[in-house]
Amino acid sequence: MIRSFFFWRRRRDARDLELDDEIRAHFAMAVADRMARGESPEDAAAAARREFGNVGHVREVTRESWGAAGLWLERLDQDLRFTARSLRRSPGVAAAAIITLAVGIGATTAMFTIMNGVLLRPLPFAAPDRLYIASYNPPPGPFSRIPGLYDRHFIAVDAKNDLFDGFATFWSNPATVRGVGDPVKLSDGFGTGDFFDLLGVAAEIGSTFHHGAGDDDHVVVLSDRLWRDRFHADPRVLGHVLEIDDVARTIIGVMPPSFQFPHEAELWTPATVHRDEHRMMTQLALGRLRPGMTEGQARARWAALTGHLDMPPGLDRSALVAQLIPLKEVVVGDVRSSLILFGGAVAFVLLIACANVANLLLMRVAVRDREMAVRAALGAGRVRLVRQLLTEAFAIAAVATALGIGLAYAAVRGLVTLAPNQTLPRVESIRLDLRVLAFAIGLAAMTTVVCGLAPALHATELRLRAALAAGARTVAGGRARLRSTLVVAEIALALVLLVGAGLLIRSLQRLTSVDLGFQTADRLVATVDLPANRYTTAEQMRDYHTRVAAALARIPGVDAVGSINWRPLGVALTAGDFTIEGGPKLPPDYMADKLNVSPGYFRAAGMHVLRGRPFDNTDRAGSPGAVIISESVARKFWPAGDAVGKRISFSDKPTARDWFTIVGVVNDVVQQDISSPRDAAIYQPLAQSQVAGWLTRGSYLVHRVAPAASVAPAMREAIRSIDPSLPVEQVFELRDAIGWTIQAPRFAARLLASFSLLALGLALIGIYGVLAYSVAQRAHEIGVRMALGATPGVVAGMILRRTLMLAVPGLAIGVAAAAALTRVLANFLFHVQPTDPATFASVTGLFAVVALGAAYLPARRAARVDPLSALRSD
Amino acid sequence: MAKQPLSRIELLQGTLDFIILQTLRWGPRHGYGIAQMIRANTGDTLQVDTGSLYPALHRLEKKKWIAAAWELSENKQRVRVYRLTSAGRKQLAVERTRWEQLTGAIAGVMRQPVPEAES
Repeated sequence: MIRSFFFWRRRRDARDLELDDEIRAHFAMAVADRMARGESPEDAAAAARREFGNVGHVREVTRESWGAAGLWLERLDQDLRFTARSLRRSPGVAAAAIITLAVGIGATTAMFTIMNGVLLRPLPFAAPDRLYIASYNPPPGPFSRIPGLYDRHFIAVDAKNDLFDGFATFWSNPATVRGVGDPVKLSDGFGTGDFFDLLGVAAEIGSTFHHGAGDDDHVVVLSDRLWRDRFHADPRVLGHVLEIDDVARTIIGVMPPSFQFPHEAELWTPATVHRDEHRMMTQLALGRLRPGMTEGQARARWAALTGHLDMPPGLDRSALVAQLIPLKEVVVGDVRSSLILFGGAVAFVLLIACANVANLLLMRVAVRDREMAVRAALGAGRVRLVRQLLTEAFAIAAVATALGIGLAYAAVRGLVTLAPNQTLPRVESIRLDLRVLAFAIGLAAMTTVVCGLAPALHATELRLRAALAAGARTVAGGRARLRSTLVVAEIALALVLLVGAGLLIRSLQRLTSVDLGFQTADRLVATVDLPANRYTTAEQMRDYHTRVAAALARIPGVDAVGSINWRPLGVALTAGDFTIEGGPKLPPDYMADKLNVSPGYFRAAGMHVLRGRPFDNTDRAGSPGAVIISESVARKFWPAGDAVGKRISFSDKPTARDWFTIVGVVNDVVQQDISSPRDAAIYQPLAQSQVAGWLTRGSYLVHRVAPAASVAPAMREAIRSIDPSLPVEQVFELRDAIGWTIQAPRFAARLLASFSLLALGLALIGIYGVLAYSVAQRAHEIGVRMALGATPGVVAGMILRRTLMLAVPGLAIGVAAAAALTRVLANFLFHVQPTDPATFASVTGLFAVVALGAAYLPARRAARVDPLSALRSD
Repeated sequence: MAKQPLSRIELLQGTLDFIILQTLRWGPRHGYGIAQMIRANTGDTLQVDTGSLYPALHRLEKKKWIAAAWELSENKQRVRVYRLTSAGRKQLAVERTRWEQLTGAIAGVMRQPVPEAES
């Protein structure tokens, strides 16, 4: 297709040249004949030319005789060549238009690439739209935000159901892997027997585990990444034995690189679901609908089936909701709204870019009024002229799209790298594919029409009006109005984006300035996980934690050390209710975080003991139970301030040894998500904790007075000295942990801020363009005014007034639109109203100032117009 | 301007093609030569507009009734010379027949009506 086009082009060119030669020869012979008859060379040439007629016309009609087949292409070819010529004549305008549009198309295509990969592309499983997450658990609330099934329900459904063809549950946990290099903590994906068959994904090498596999099958399947990182992609890896959480497992397969499910898993082991009367956790259960079953039928069956399941103790059927959710929804549901938000923002940028390019083309139309008139007089029809202008827009859009796709390619890589860890699912499926290319080409077509049609119709319609004897001034006036309207629209669009970004940034400020209740400066945290097979009793674990804390305290430059059975600002916190001795019953929903800490913890964390005392070494195993409550617990149940000395219990029906005496009150702190309020908490001394399950995880908080660079390695060393067989855990600054919890909002704020700055820049270019052009156009008028006594100040004031005439309506419309649109941000904002007046006011003010800044150069140029030369130039 | 050339009177559709083919019967000629010859042969009555001549030449060439080749003229000018092809010769015969029919018919129309003979 392309080849034949060029082939045709070449033939056409040759033919054109031949025709020119033929005409030239004809002309030369005519002149020669006339001179032979005695005419002077000049007369002969003039007469011959007169006789010959219009050369262009002869050429045109002769070309037409070459046949209608090539005519359309012929004209397109002409238009394109004409475009190339005319754009080459004004390279500045062409470059500005192309770059502007390339940025707009690039950003939009990049965003679409991500949306396409995450939201639109099918999941990389067999018939993924038949895969559903089956859930029967409490509706979204403090305990359950994600769908899930209780173990007993999973077992019952797995044994017998008439709607799923394959049913599995899966989860992931960190596991210690030995047997290849240093011991390492990796995310282990556990799946029941059907897991791989259900997804319909086969191993790249070896095999996966299948139906019937479970806890007793000591096998493991590796991810492609793990295989490459640790085994150098050696295909002889099959049969090799790894020790995973102290269980020897044989490698039976390696998955293809595209298989990343659950997202973080680096290896997979088969598991069995056991019925445990006390386990109240729910987990994801995946099923494939039987062939022929519709979603509606499946929902009805699922509702009926769950209605017959036996209930875990203490749970009421009315508290549970049965749901079937498409797997894709569970995988990408969280990011959909963010991605759509970013997509919308980037569409605004593209619209502004289009408005700018339309303005540039309009400007060129104005300059080319005479050319258009001449071409029209020579018989170019209106359609032909519109086509010429559209061809120009098309040429610009085509080049811009090609550049834009390149930009998008780079931008997608950048965005994926910058996107917060683990918050963007399906990163592996983000790439430029045919759909993205089709989208980009669609954008090119759309921008061609948007940028080209308005100026084209405008130009030709104006010419018609001009032909109807309207004065030249009204013509220019009409065009100026269109150009101003475009700039006003640009300002409004850019303002909406800026307000949105402003709100997110303000929200981020609020987030980072939250008073957490503890100190984060100069605090280092180290964490360990104690493997359940070697640390079995609470006593062993307490001993380990105590020895680590003591070792850390000996490091020079460490001011205070505290241990806690929880990672500050981490996830999965233990919370629950309690009983007050002789006191009121707790409100039904009341919960407090339950934490175990060492005596030094409050000092190390910089928390305040408000009443009573902190824990000390007298709070040992065997001594009377002590607890410290947080301020809000004290205020709620002992408003008189007499909490210290009272007794509470974590048991529903406490016996004598279940009672703990409140020995102190500390301030409330934020425990996990910094956007959630400070929690009520109850602290127990680590030394008195009897529940082994609560002590497997330990964090050591260190207040350092020496640089982190020297303290952190010493901490690692100290921890390793207590038990060298434990894998080395992370050591991090507590301040960084805050950074991790706000990764997503920070990314959103930064991205939207970049888009809005881009929009602002484009809008400023638009303002500048209109003003600069109007100064150039009115140089004559300005010269006359100055000759008549207008001072440079008056002239500059004229330009500033013109700026205000653009900015004021633009900003007004923008503020109104923003007020209507920022509602979509409500879920992204922390302690900021979507219509926050301070943000609106400051962003609008800022915009007004920079808009006047954009007017500075044109105004100065206007003020410097030399009346004499301006008058003479005409 | 002494004489208004008759070519301004529109030639009947197809007539120019016929004239060109007829002209080329006397041997290959370039475009300018054809124009000059038509002019000379009609005693300056017909001046063929170049805007009609070249489209017609290219059209006839496309129909393969004439063929073109680049040659050097007597004064070393590179010129495109047209000559009649055998298809063109046949076409000329057809055109001539049609022309004769047409002129005969027109002549018939133009002739004074003959009084009807009694049988």
